Amino acid sequence: MQQLSGRPLSETDQSLPRMLLGGSSCCGEVGDFEKVVRCGSMATKKLRRAGLSQELCDRLSRHQITTCRDFLCLSLLELMKVTGQSYQNVQKLLCKVSLACAPKMQTAYEMKMKRAINPSSAFLSTTLHGLDKALHGGVACGSLTEVTGPPGCGKTQFCLMMSVLATLPISMGGLHGAVIYIDTESAFGAERLVEIAGHRFPNYFVTEEKLFSMTRNIHLYPELTCDCVLKRIETLEEEIISKKVKLVIIDSIASVVRKEFDMKLQGNLLERSNFLARGASLLKYLAEEFSIPVILTNQITTRLNNGLDVQANIVSPADDLCLFEVSGASGSKDQELGYVTAALGNTWSHSVNTRLILQYHDLHTKQVLVAKSPVAPFAAFFYTIENSGLVLQDGKDHPDASWEGCSPILQAIRVRTSILKDGFPSATADTVKLEPPI
Amino acid sequence: MQRDVGSFPLAPGLRAKLIGAGFQTAEELLEIGPCELSKEIGISKEEALETLQIVRRECHSNATRTTGEPETVKKCTALELLEQEQARGFIITFCSALDDILGGGVQLTKITEICGAPGVGKTQLCMQLAVDVQIPECFGGLAGEAVFIDTEGSFIVDRVADIATACVQHCQLIAETHQEEDFQKSLETFSLESILSHIYYFRCHDYTELLAQVYLLPDFLSEHSKVQLVIVDGIAFPFRHDLEDLSLRTRLLNGLAQQLISIANAHKLAVVLTNQMTTRIGQSQSMLVPALGESWGHAATIRLIFHWDNKQRLATLYKSPSQKESTVPFHITPNGFRDVHPPPSSQTPAEIEINPRKRPRLEGENQ
Repeated sequence: MQQLSGRPLSETDQSLPRMLLGGSSCCGEVGDFEKVVRCGSMATKKLRRAGLSQELCDRLSRHQITTCRDFLCLSLLELMKVTGQSYQNVQKLLCKVSLACAPKMQTAYEMKMKRAINPSSAFLSTTLHGLDKALHGGVACGSLTEVTGPPGCGKTQFCLMMSVLATLPISMGGLHGAVIYIDTESAFGAERLVEIAGHRFPNYFVTEEKLFSMTRNIHLYPELTCDCVLKRIETLEEEIISKKVKLVIIDSIASVVRKEFDMKLQGNLLERSNFLARGASLLKYLAEEFSIPVILTNQITTRLNNGLDVQANIVSPADDLCLFEVSGASGSKDQELGYVTAALGNTWSHSVNTRLILQYHDLHTKQVLVAKSPVAPFAAFFYTIENSGLVLQDGKDHPDASWEGCSPILQAIRVRTSILKDGFPSATADTVKLEPPI
Repeated sequence: MQRDVGSFPLAPGLRAKLIGAGFQTAEELLEIGPCELSKEIGISKEEALETLQIVRRECHSNATRTTGEPETVKKCTALELLEQEQARGFIITFCSALDDILGGGVQLTKITEICGAPGVGKTQLCMQLAVDVQIPECFGGLAGEAVFIDTEGSFIVDRVADIATACVQHCQLIAETHQEEDFQKSLETFSLESILSHIYYFRCHDYTELLAQVYLLPDFLSEHSKVQLVIVDGIAFPFRHDLEDLSLRTRLLNGLAQQLISIANAHKLAVVLTNQMTTRIGQSQSMLVPALGESWGHAATIRLIFHWDNKQRLATLYKSPSQKESTVPFHITPNGFRDVHPPPSSQTPAEIEINPRKRPRLEGENQ
C-alpha cells in the first residue's frame, strides 16, 4: 500500500458522526471546508502577481484584500474607497485584475484538433463492446463518470476491471499509466484484481513479472472520513504528475458522506451539498487538466412516492424493507410507497457528467444502464460477473432489452429479490420486491 | 455649472480635500488653474491637472446632454422600437414547437434562462443554439458567432461536431430543393470546420474566473463583432458551493445579471444561461425549484423550465413578457435538439401542430 511520506502505516482514522458544530477529522485539525481550494484556481492569485503596484497592494492588504477573488468581489464604490483612485482608474485596475484571472479562449475547432491528434486520450475503453459503442469509445477522459447500483451488483468489480485496463499499454486499449484508487469501504481485493487480470488478458499477463508490474501501478488510499477524502483529493494534483496517473477511482463517495452527515440535523443537507460540490469541482478540474477519466461509485436510496425524498435519506437500506412492508401489509402490491434510486441527491446528479446504473435483472444476469451521458442516448446492456470481471451478454434474446430512460435522478433501480441464489424460481411471500412494475 | 463637487468621479480622498478647502460647485473649480489648486489643497500639480480635466470632461458631457443630444443614453420612440423588433431575427432551436412558444426562437437583446433537472437536455440545447446562430441568412439564420462560457465541463466537442454536421446536411437538403445561387454560395462557407472555428470557448473553474471573464467580455465582443450569442452553461454551479455568504452571492449575481443585460443590449445579442434545480423542503414535502434563490428569478427576461413527465422531456415557458405560458415536448436525437414527431394518423394541417399543453403558473415541479 502506498501512502504519503510521513504518515505512519498504522494510523487509524477515527470518524465520529458529524455534528453541526465542529467535527473530528483524521489529522487533528478542525474539519474545515472553508479552506481555500489549492489546486487549479486563479481566484487565489495574489494581486501582486496580477500586475498591481507594490504600493497599491500594500494599501489593499491593510483592508484584507490580497487575492484577485477579494478584489473582484467588491463593488466599484468600495474599490474606489479602498484604493483611493478615481472611477476611471479603478476600471482600469479591474481590467488588469480580470485579465490576470480570466480563462484563455479556445475555439471549438482547436479543441477538436487537439483531440484528433491524440485519439487514444479521449476515452478509456471498457472492453464491453456494446457499452463502448454507446458511449462513443468508453469512459470519457476529462469528465466524471458515476457508477451506481445496489450492493453486490458489481460496482467494485467494475472499478477493479477499469484499474487493470488503465495500466495496459495503449496498443491494447489502455492508457499505460498508474491508477489512484481511493477506497472508503475497504472493498479492494488485490487477489481479485490479479484474478481479473489473469482471466481477461491471459495472453498478456503470461509472466508473474507482468502481473506485479501492473499491481505496482495501482496506488491504493484507504480513507474513512469526508475530511480525509477531501484532503486526499486536494493532494492528488502532485501525485498525478509524479506517478504518471491516468485514472482516478473513488469507491465509494456515498459511503463516507452517508456515514457522517445525519440528515435529521438541520443544516446538514447544505453542508453535505457543499462537500459534494467542492469534491466534484476539484475532481473535474483534475480530470480536465490532465485529460484523465475519473470514476466514482455511488449507492442507492429509497425515494418515496409522495415527494418525501429528503426524509428518505435517513432511512438505511435495512429500514427500506420495513417501510415497504408497512404499505405491503395494507393490501395491494401495486401501490408502491416508493422506489429505489441513486443516492446523494439532486445537486450531485448535476455534478457528474455520466451516470451508469447497475441493477439486477434475474438470478444470474444484471443490467447496466446508461442513464445520463452528454454523448450517448439511453441504452441498456445485460452482463454477468465472471472470473474475468464483467462480461456483456451479446446476442442473448431478452424481452426488455430496449429501454426508454427517464430522468437520471428518478430512474428506478432493481434490487436483489431473493436472498438465496439457488432459491425458488418463483417469488414467494417471504421475498420482498422493491422494483416498480414494468 | 452648478454641479456639486462631490458628485464627480474623483478619488474619495481628493474629494474630501476639495470640500475641506471650501469648493462646493464645479464652477468654482473651473475658475482656478492647476498650480493654484495644487497649492491650495496640498496635492501635486499632476493630480490637480487630472482633477480639473475630469471635471471639465464631465461638465462638457453634461452640457451636451442638456442640449438634447444623447451621448451614452439611447432613447427612441416606441415606433422605432417596433420596427427594430420586427426586423430582428431569432435563433431557432430546431424544435419547431419550442420556437413557436418562444415566438420564433431565442430572442436577441434578451436574457433567456433554462432551468432543469440533471440530464434533461440543457447543455444539449446550448450546443444546438451555438450551431444554429451560425446558419447563413438565406436559410433564415443570423450568420453570427457564439461565445460559450462553460463552468461545469459538460461541453463535449464531439457532440457539437455531430450536431453541426446534421445542421449542415439539413441546409444542404434545403439548398438542393431550391436551386438558388446564393444558397450554394453560402453553403461553401457553412461547413463543419467554420462552425467549430466560430464557437469561442471559455472554461471558468470558479466564480472569480466567471466574474473576470464577464468583465472582459465587452472588449472581446468589440473585437469579434459578429458574435450574436453568449451562452453561460452553468451559472449556478460556481455560486453554489464556494460561497457561504449569501448576501455577497446575491450581490455578485445581481452585478453579473446587470452586466449581461447591458452586453445584450449594447451588442444586440442573445444571452442564454442555464440554471440547476434545487430541493426546497416544505412542511410535508420537498419540491424541485430553480436554484440561486428568488431574487435571481428577476434577472432573466425569459425563463424556460425543462422537466420530465415519465419518459417524455417537456419544455415549459415559465416567464415571458410577450408570450403566454405553455408546455411542449421535445426530443434529443443523435442529430441534436428536435421536435417530437406528430403521430402519423393526423392528416389535417391543424392537427399536425403539436398542441401545447396549457398549465397554470407553476410554483415548482414535484419530481
